[in-house]
Amino acid sequence: MMFGTVLIANRGEIALRVARTCRELGIRTVAVHSAADAPPDWADQTIRIGPAPARRSYLNAAALIEAALQSGADAVHPGYGFLSEDAEFARICEEYGLTFIGPSADVIEAMGDKAAARATMSAAGVPVLPGSLHAVEEEEGRRLADEVGYPVVIKAVAGGGGRGMAIVHSGAGFSDSYRRVRAEAQLLFGDDRVCLERYLRAAHHVEIQVICDAHGNAVHLGERDCSTQRRRQKLLEESPSPAIAPELAERMAQAALAGARAIGYRGLGTFEFLVDDDTGDYFFIETNCRIQVEHPVTELVTGLDLVSEQLAVASGLPLPFRQEDVVRRGAALECRINAEDPERNFAPAPGLIEEFTPPGGPFVRVDTHVRAGTRIPPDYDPMIAKIVTWGADRDQAIDRMDRALSELRVSGPGLRTNTAFLREVLATPVFRKGAHTTGFIDHLTKGET
Amino acid sequence: MTELPNDSDFDTLCEAATRLVSLLPHPPATLKISHGLASAELTWSDGFPAVVTTTVDPPLPDDGHIQVRAPLVGTFYRAPEPGAAPYVSVGDTVEVGQQIGIVESMKLMNPIVAEAPGRVVEIPAADAAPVEYDQPLVVIAPGDSSACDTLFPGSR
Repeated sequence: MMFGTVLIANRGEIALRVARTCRELGIRTVAVHSAADAPPDWADQTIRIGPAPARRSYLNAAALIEAALQSGADAVHPGYGFLSEDAEFARICEEYGLTFIGPSADVIEAMGDKAAARATMSAAGVPVLPGSLHAVEEEEGRRLADEVGYPVVIKAVAGGGGRGMAIVHSGAGFSDSYRRVRAEAQLLFGDDRVCLERYLRAAHHVEIQVICDAHGNAVHLGERDCSTQRRRQKLLEESPSPAIAPELAERMAQAALAGARAIGYRGLGTFEFLVDDDTGDYFFIETNCRIQVEHPVTELVTGLDLVSEQLAVASGLPLPFRQEDVVRRGAALECRINAEDPERNFAPAPGLIEEFTPPGGPFVRVDTHVRAGTRIPPDYDPMIAKIVTWGADRDQAIDRMDRALSELRVSGPGLRTNTAFLREVLATPVFRKGAHTTGFIDHLTKGET
Repeated sequence: MTELPNDSDFDTLCEAATRLVSLLPHPPATLKISHGLASAELTWSDGFPAVVTTTVDPPLPDDGHIQVRAPLVGTFYRAPEPGAAPYVSVGDTVEVGQQIGIVESMKLMNPIVAEAPGRVVEIPAADAAPVEYDQPLVVIAPGDSSACDTLFPGSR
């Protein structure tokens, strides 16, 4: 049976995004907020759960569970980030009789350790990058690097977001890099285990959206290309991928579904792959056990409301469609508007928004929680809006995006955004051609890699 | 600091600092606590350069009244158990550190204590009602003459 009340354990645009679908489905919503955020006016109930630091508010499991229990929620939607991929939180929710809207705690745990996740996927027949499937000591790592072939990348087992890693170009630099990454990993994640894999000179980041119900049905919703990244932070996402043939995308989708079935995945999930620009080989990198920032891109090409489907399968309902019912049309693009200053190396530039005029018109979607008068606190992620456009083909979607970005007005004292920078990206010939790889933004901003 | 003041601001600060330390992967090299402006500062040495500071706003509204606020989300109780006499009522005088209520959260009873001596002038939170973080529970008018009687009997 569908939920009566959902507590949304998040903030910002994704909290509002989830609440909108809940409202359409007649589900009562409970929004939580920290002292740094104003109580949202789009929820049926709001509860202030703690002070500004995320550790004591949006990451505070006890406060969230207490809020869920006292508001009569029967489910918790974790959004993305914060506790969305915290197996312990998922487990605590279940212990208190609350449905955690996501995969089971066991699956989150299994996918959270990247080395373990790659071993699992490899066993399920999903290609993974040549390298270690587990943490390696220095000498073992050196032997493995010789076997895999340089360049290799050494990275923290517990890492993510491009932190705690190093690219090694030859055996001479191995020891220094190995020791540095271990020290960094200990500092950043409290876990100094590192693994090692082949480094791809140029690659496309392509991910497959899947959704699985509790009745053994698993369906993919196509791919998204997230190759437009700055220092491994996604900036712009699109579907379909301009870089790979539909046949390859289909093979990757089938691999993702095989992986999802092998781990008993339930819910909405994303299987991320790197596609080697030189060979066209694809390699699994990780599974995201949650809704993603870029999910609207898939919604626009499939016509499906992913949050609605996510709620339905979490409540135990079977998927209402089969693979052959999923029809993808046209192309969609998403740009992330961040409160950051491209002139100052993309440093966060939060503050009070005095003017906010979102774009509109045909085939433009804006997901945002801000308006004139909203204060962007320095405590959290600097994303303030997502602009999504649809076109009959990629060129039309890009032209619409450029037009939409030209309409966007955001200003306030001290506030800066990356809007103009995104328009530069759209105008870059390599992007227009769809030939860009994951290093292209760093190249564009003068070889920051 | 030669003498630890019997002051709940100080206690709150110590609790906050302890919580802060417990949340971190490595113990700090130094921990500074200053009481007057209520701040805690932690520093690391040996490759842990992070400096974390926290500031607690003094709970002093314009009228000089002190609002004792909920330290966490939960349920407020005015009495130790159903049917029992409330800890305090409007008009009562209270001492620093005197228990004036409970916020129950995740089945844990968190005692709420007076942060200053004075007279209870308002109890804005209802008994057995859900409360948010930082919600005003009890309002105290500090430095009341009757409070002086309680604190310093025979001072007249």
